[in-house]
Amino acid sequence: MADNVLRLLRTLNRGVAYLIGIMLLACAAFVLADIVLRQTGASFGGTDEISGYVMAIATSWGMSFALLELSHVRIDLLRQQANTLWRSLFDIFSMVVTTGVVLLIAYQCWPVLERSISNSSTANTPLETPLVWVQGPWFAGWVWFGVVSTLTTLSALALVLQGRFAESERAIGAFGEADLL
Amino acid sequence: MIAYTAIGLLGLLALSIPVGIVLFLLGIGIDQFFSNFPLTRGLGALVWSSSNSATLIAIPFFVLLGEILVRSGVAARTYAALDKWVSWLPGGLVHANIATATMFSATSGSSVATAATVATVAMPQAEKLGYDPKLFSGAIAAGGTLGIMIPPSINLIVYGFLTQTSIPQLFLAGLIPGLGLALAFVVMTAIICTLRPSLGGARRTFPLSEMMGALVQLVPILLLFAAIVGSIYKGWATPTEAAAVGVAGAFIIAALFGRVDVAMVGQATLGTVKVTSMIMLIVIGASFLNFTLASAGLGRELQAFLSGLGLTAVSTMLVIVLIYIVLGFFIETLSLMVVTIPIMVPLVIELGYDPIWFGILMIVLVEMALITPPVGLNLYVVQGARTSGNLSDVMLGVIPYVLVLLMMAGALLIFPQIALFLPALLN
Repeated sequence: MADNVLRLLRTLNRGVAYLIGIMLLACAAFVLADIVLRQTGASFGGTDEISGYVMAIATSWGMSFALLELSHVRIDLLRQQANTLWRSLFDIFSMVVTTGVVLLIAYQCWPVLERSISNSSTANTPLETPLVWVQGPWFAGWVWFGVVSTLTTLSALALVLQGRFAESERAIGAFGEADLL
Repeated sequence: MIAYTAIGLLGLLALSIPVGIVLFLLGIGIDQFFSNFPLTRGLGALVWSSSNSATLIAIPFFVLLGEILVRSGVAARTYAALDKWVSWLPGGLVHANIATATMFSATSGSSVATAATVATVAMPQAEKLGYDPKLFSGAIAAGGTLGIMIPPSINLIVYGFLTQTSIPQLFLAGLIPGLGLALAFVVMTAIICTLRPSLGGARRTFPLSEMMGALVQLVPILLLFAAIVGSIYKGWATPTEAAAVGVAGAFIIAALFGRVDVAMVGQATLGTVKVTSMIMLIVIGASFLNFTLASAGLGRELQAFLSGLGLTAVSTMLVIVLIYIVLGFFIETLSLMVVTIPIMVPLVIELGYDPIWFGILMIVLVEMALITPPVGLNLYVVQGARTSGNLSDVMLGVIPYVLVLLMMAGALLIFPQIALFLPALLN
């Protein structure tokens, strides 16, 4: 059960990460095209605004991928000294705290979207982007991060309770520093 | 409040909670204990405004640029070319490590990527030519730290974003200290290898025709640097747009060497998303902590704290430098910068120092953090590229370069113009 959940989450988030990558590449191409256009005196206009939206959405949706790839930096000086059991307790504790904070963030992000929906807000820019279009996907990304954190924590907890420490460490442990990049 | 933040920070970090999450927790705690207004209600709006940023999208672009360049095969060619130019110096190939790292720093925004790239191409040479591994690997780890100083620099973008200082000015300010450090690394290596030739390797000279021929190999990287930095200072492009130009340039270089395919682009984008998200969780957390600290009256408390200390500006600055050196043993680059910016930068401005100058000083100290054990990312990166030997070789090898970085920190304290000269010229 726990293994299947983790495997599914990993596959889904890898797909999400590819989509974000494509979005970022497209954004870079768009920015480039605008620079070239500007040399001829024209411009698409609004590249800054669109880049900002792309960044907000890429950020919120990328969080879960980074979580499962164990990329969110942790200082593991103490954790390293501990034995297997204690290490897994460090990991579970860290995941529980992370999940709590992420759920709070997602919860606090809702009023931002809600206000844009109820006021039909548009951006204060020439594009007059309806904010719901961009804040909707952005909010969904944080909710997804909350869902992925919760499921990952529960799965890892199940693994620890079954005494499968090595597998739990693979799911929520801390990588060697060198693997960051 | 300052004590609460500092102690809470260290305690929560020690529990191995992710750095970004720790920053959120501290912000929430400050809201609970020190603020009359419910600040956490502003959390959502803050998460939106700090990630909806056309400035910060430069981060994934620069990361992507590095990811492509690493996979383009340009590193090996650059290394071989620089070898022909610098290996006549006492220390031989060690200088090629520093020179290659310097050139990569000029296109890459990250120190770890720079160290990893150079280590991969250089290490096999060391083993083949029989170099002493200590100084050789130390030079790669240290040379790699230049990545965050010589523009473009992801760390300077984050610093500029969080402190609201001009990123082009920060980039310009980093140029002279960055090149100065590179030169000082070379001089230090030459001095050591003159005194103890066994630490270096054979000095080799190449015929002039071969040297001139090698220059062609340097053209791609130099063009890329010129395109990125040049377009910012010509006023054609913002740092973000220059980063997009850089991505295109990196693609062209990789395509010229026949390295662009679906698998490579896929790997590069996955790496980019991973690193960007890691950075952004910390940046958003720091924005929130910044906001709560400022709202809860950090400014007033800092003034009281400073007058209570009764130290002069200079001695306070020395204490700050010392704090960074100590923290640098345990905390890494971006985390170290971001967790300290909310308290240190207001303090430094309160003391009357220039925030651009302090950004550069902070980078020097963070470079030191990258190569000081027990937690020194570049040490592990370089060790990871070796096939034999202990981590302690690399740790010993970086000692002379840590001294150089200390000297640069001192020089910046005494002569702030080293950093501020070029930005002043721009104004």
